[in-house]
Amino acid sequence: MDPALSTDVPTGRAVAYIFDGLTRFTPDAKVVPGLAKSWDVTPDGMTYTFHLRSGVKFHNGAPFTAKNVVSTFQRVLDPKTKGGRGWPLYPIKGAEDFAGGKGQAITGLASPDDSTVVITLKEPLAIFPKLLAMPVTSIVPDNAGSDLGQKPVGTGPWKFVEWKHDDYLKFAKNPDYFDGAPKADSLMARIVPEMSTATAEFEAGNVDVLTVPDETGKSWEADPDKKKLLQSAPALRFWYVAINTTRGPLSDVRVRQALNYAVDVNTILSAVMAGRGTAANGVVPPTLAGYDASRKPYGHDIAKAKQLLAAAGHPGGIDVELWAANTDQSPRLSQAIQANLAEAGIRAKLVQREASSVREAARKGAADLYVKEWWADYPDAENFLFPLLHSKNKGPGGNVSFYSNSKFDALIDQAHREQDETKRNALYSQADAMQFNDAPMLYLFFYKDMYAIQPWIHGFTVPAVFNGQRWTDVTIGK
Amino acid sequence: MFAFIVRRLLLAIPTLFGVLVVTFLLLNVAPGDPVTEMVGERADSATIARLRKDLHLDEPRLKQFTLYAGGVLRGNLGNSYITQRPILRDILERFPKTLLLAGSAMLLASILGITLGVLSARNPGGWFDRLGLGVAYLGISFPVYWVGLILILVFAVMLRWLPPSGYGGIKYLILPAFALGSRSIAFLARVTRSAMLDVLGGDFVRTARAKGLRERVVIVRHALRNALIPIITVLGLDFGYYLTGSILTETIFSWPGLGRYVVNAITRRDLPAIQGSVLFLSVVFVLVNLLTDLAYAKADPRVAYS
Repeated sequence: MDPALSTDVPTGRAVAYIFDGLTRFTPDAKVVPGLAKSWDVTPDGMTYTFHLRSGVKFHNGAPFTAKNVVSTFQRVLDPKTKGGRGWPLYPIKGAEDFAGGKGQAITGLASPDDSTVVITLKEPLAIFPKLLAMPVTSIVPDNAGSDLGQKPVGTGPWKFVEWKHDDYLKFAKNPDYFDGAPKADSLMARIVPEMSTATAEFEAGNVDVLTVPDETGKSWEADPDKKKLLQSAPALRFWYVAINTTRGPLSDVRVRQALNYAVDVNTILSAVMAGRGTAANGVVPPTLAGYDASRKPYGHDIAKAKQLLAAAGHPGGIDVELWAANTDQSPRLSQAIQANLAEAGIRAKLVQREASSVREAARKGAADLYVKEWWADYPDAENFLFPLLHSKNKGPGGNVSFYSNSKFDALIDQAHREQDETKRNALYSQADAMQFNDAPMLYLFFYKDMYAIQPWIHGFTVPAVFNGQRWTDVTIGK
Repeated sequence: MFAFIVRRLLLAIPTLFGVLVVTFLLLNVAPGDPVTEMVGERADSATIARLRKDLHLDEPRLKQFTLYAGGVLRGNLGNSYITQRPILRDILERFPKTLLLAGSAMLLASILGITLGVLSARNPGGWFDRLGLGVAYLGISFPVYWVGLILILVFAVMLRWLPPSGYGGIKYLILPAFALGSRSIAFLARVTRSAMLDVLGGDFVRTARAKGLRERVVIVRHALRNALIPIITVLGLDFGYYLTGSILTETIFSWPGLGRYVVNAITRRDLPAIQGSVLFLSVVFVLVNLLTDLAYAKADPRVAYS
């Protein structure tokens, strides 16, 4: 639970309980002040001044000051920390050099007094405050050693009590929390690897809130008693098949569109995912500004798929490899997609391996098609468009379609600089429409999260972004 | 006896070295890059290159191996790539829990399996024998994860007698131990039955009965004692199964032991954690084999080691 080392969702959630960033997300994915009570940005979008809250103390009693912000960011980027996730801070001037071992300090980061932090960016980036709500940028106390991961100390609503590895995490309320102490006294996160076991724990009444697996959700929705306990909300999670636009026939836009027409997304959604989601009409999910409801998904049209393939010079179909991880929904999704593609004459050979080797192959550009999911790190259309499709992010950066379109890149770059929210979202819409037409991926669906909540739990809402629920408003009563 | 133990322990060294080489090679030729897991979904090439260098993943394989083997010789299994905690500490924290689970399963299997086998052998072809055969078939056929889930469903969700998962007092132990031991119960019951049948036809059993000894004494002191050798063999061989079976059982029952640690390490490509665990389990396995051999001598005075 060391923020500097957190790259996965479960760790990110725990970090959000114990720590605060300068900003944070609400359950409905708004960015609100955290340790910074407000911030100003210069008209050129280059310099952010964060005004920090005063009187905030870490759980160990040490006061929080601007110096903690500077040392935290340095710690995240310091090569000695061996963290894998410096990029949210790279927009700061000098940060990337510092991470590369060049330079003694981050030139764009200053604390003129104890309650002010001034950050100069290397180029304007309108979404920067959202990056500061990510787990990795959470503020840690001075002299945080390597033990921070085992005994985390932050300023957050919950104090760390105990971590039984692979069993549970226990937290107690921080009565002095600056935003009001949590309403419940303690919080416990059970670590249960097998979903059916977790479901049994919920049914036995030992677990208060459960993330419901797809199939269980389907049967519980049919049960009136269980249905009352369910709560679902669109998540910032997007399932798609990355199409490597540089490989063989896939470099032809008509072939990529044919793939989209060949697959019956709605049927797959109901048969494989228990109807948990909506068919995607781009990469920007419906809950985010920049989403365009008027654009229709490709739809299922085998004749059109065949026609496009023939027009591209492949009347006899094509052969491709469809890569998928052998965990979660990936195997079933990939089999359904394979069957659909076959109807249009696209012969997809399944390559199933464990998740990290599939990911590695796709990053190297060795996979034609790659079934995958994308969880947003922060609630902004940029978090879908930029990593997944900007040519700067080819490979490890997230663009495993190896999509490269200078007009698209220009729109995203312009949006990065655009300070006006409305104009920025219009640019995202435009970029989303552009790439949708180029079809660098097979658009599947935007996933919907489902939770089951015991009747005695009140005040829980399903968060849109994974670290948006901090349990401060949750109460337990009969 | 002492010389025998020392010789066996010395012989274990090349075995363990072999394990070290094979796991290292297998993990290195297997596709998948640990750094990919460390950096998560979105990363930059500079960070990846820096981490690869830090972890010596950019060095030639032989160099990597000597670095690792050198650490092992000094008692250092390295640090986890993901949590950066020392591997040995992680293993020592979890192994007692796995040992508790495996030990309980073994105890349960011995008591139930041997009893079932002895009772079946007393009246071969009788109703109890046939019932025992049925139970044994089921026990051997059902995979441990299935048994585990059914046990949770029946005893935790429907009857609410026991908690579905977790680690704590004895009530947390019963279901996983039974799930893990179910196959062994069946196996031991069959082996005990046939061993007992062989022995019960022996002259010394007739003599014992002729002396007027009570049937229970005949069965337990005379017959069972002589039937123990194959039973010990099965128990010793099964220990390997307990260790691998614990991987599934611990995952299903959320038992925080070494099996789950290995599964986590594998899915996250935490190479030193996988290597360390395999090596550690190999040491355990070698020791258990040694103990099994020593148990033969205890059970059968004709077996002597020198």
